[in-house]
Amino acid sequence: MKLIGIAGTIASQSYNKMLLSFIQKHFPDINLEIVDIKDVPLFSEDLNLADYPIISQLNRKILASDGVILATPEHNHTTTPALKSLIEWLSSKVHPFNDKPVLLVGASYYTQGTSRAQTDLRQILESPGVNALVMPKDEFLLGNAKNAFDEAGNLTDARTVAFLETVMKDFTHWIKVLKAMRTKEVPSFEAEDLSAKNPIDTTIVGIDSDDPQWVEKAAELTHAASGNDYVKLDRGVLTVDQLNWFLNSMPFELTYADDNNQFLYYNHFADAKDMLAPRTPDQAGSSLQAVHPARAIPGAKKVINTLRNGQSEYKMLIPGTSTVHYYKRMEDENKSYRGINEIVLDLKPVVDFYLQATGQKLVADKKADVVTGASQKESPAVKPTPKADSVTSASTKEENAVPVIVDERKETQVDSTTSASTH
Amino acid sequence: MNKYIGIAGTNYSKSLNAKMLNFIKKHFAAQADIELLDISQWPLFSKVDANLVPEAVLKASQKIKQADGVIFATPEYDHSVPAVLMNALAWLSYLDQPFNAKPVLITGVSYGALGTSRAQEHLRKILNAPELGAKLMESQEFLVGRGFQTVAENGQLEASLLKELDQQFSAFETFVAAVKKEGDQ
Repeated sequence: MKLIGIAGTIASQSYNKMLLSFIQKHFPDINLEIVDIKDVPLFSEDLNLADYPIISQLNRKILASDGVILATPEHNHTTTPALKSLIEWLSSKVHPFNDKPVLLVGASYYTQGTSRAQTDLRQILESPGVNALVMPKDEFLLGNAKNAFDEAGNLTDARTVAFLETVMKDFTHWIKVLKAMRTKEVPSFEAEDLSAKNPIDTTIVGIDSDDPQWVEKAAELTHAASGNDYVKLDRGVLTVDQLNWFLNSMPFELTYADDNNQFLYYNHFADAKDMLAPRTPDQAGSSLQAVHPARAIPGAKKVINTLRNGQSEYKMLIPGTSTVHYYKRMEDENKSYRGINEIVLDLKPVVDFYLQATGQKLVADKKADVVTGASQKESPAVKPTPKADSVTSASTKEENAVPVIVDERKETQVDSTTSASTH
Repeated sequence: MNKYIGIAGTNYSKSLNAKMLNFIKKHFAAQADIELLDISQWPLFSKVDANLVPEAVLKASQKIKQADGVIFATPEYDHSVPAVLMNALAWLSYLDQPFNAKPVLITGVSYGALGTSRAQEHLRKILNAPELGAKLMESQEFLVGRGFQTVAENGQLEASLLKELDQQFSAFETFVAAVKKEGDQ
């Protein structure tokens, strides 16, 4: 379980930071990452989020986490300006707390132990712009903090530690229950939102997705690796240049759209006019809504939704051609959906090579249903063109027949080198 | 004529609350001297050494001490007072307590229907903290919800709200006089 811990202070020394550090140390099974907010500027509607990478970074960390622990001091009967400012940043243009489980804790010098600050923080976090799920029931209030820790930063009172253990057990259990509740819902494909309006942990916030210079601006904003910068991959290390040489030599067109349905990348080795599925450089960064004509939207929604809901791949033959759109579900290490990998390739050269190498030819299978019929219905954008080529030539003679591979040597006894000339 | 300090809880250049407070200043110019205090550029609060407290905070603290009362106009962010106003109040309660026994009038304007009711309640709670200890009029609130449009367009309040503001301001002046009398005794 991955949690993010934030102490609501910009001071370097704080009992709330000590409390988070103790939780981190005392619960090694929980992966608690403590983040510092001292570099977060005071929120103002005049400031542009894109100018403060720290906010996008915190946004990504919280989005990618299973939950957040907020440790709040108390000032003037409420939470701190520093923590409130952070929440304002994270409820304005980005909303990482939306549906995120949050546990409130707090340490104070005095006996009250931040009860008022926690009450206010709960109200703030449950407001519609933040929309966090604040852990009900438990509040962990540490009063008299200056006497609560030993020199090694450990809580000294056994009953306090035992109570903290109960609170953490409740919180992690609650996170699991919430997760189980959510995974039951399988929305219909019509609900698939192609407008890319729901930023995810990796979304580059602050640039108009329709900007034709999106790639240049996004790279500048994120200080993206480029040229001879090295990138560590699973499994290997390449420079960005090498990665481009590699991807641009693939014998197929690759397109990457993330789980927010934002089109982020294609391997740009040909001009649009020479591509099987034309793409133009200005389209990178756009929503899938923006790059599909209206008539193709339902088909795109269906494919993406199928993969999002767990199917690992989806194939589609463009009728009357040998071009296949092969969609693969992309997953992270937790098996969560992370986007769609669209591979577009012309099967003909591969099939031709195989036939030539093995001395076979294609003949029609009169008994088979036409598998491409289904994709014609699903994808009204694609008009079948009855243009014959060598792969589908069988079907032009025999309507509704599908080519199958037949071992030509058994039928005709011609050798494998001459079989190529029959096509 | 009483002297008041006006604080708009905002650092937003197009703030409706700053606009409304400007209107309040002009509208009551014949009855009271309202000086507006800019808190928008103060650094984020932390418990620094006394000699590191910003000059602007010390000046503001002096002005509030000398004033007869303070008028707030607060926006509402996430059902509560904006961080920028919480920040100003954290600074203004750190070393000295200029709000101690200071009469306060709270107003707020919002785009939504509720007109910052939750932020005003939050502000009352903060001003009640021992380090601030302001004098609050019982259950006083001045909420400008959908009436914001007139504020936004020409910096004015519509007639019904203006009538309410006049009544509240006059009640505030009476309250200020009573607090003063109490202090003199």
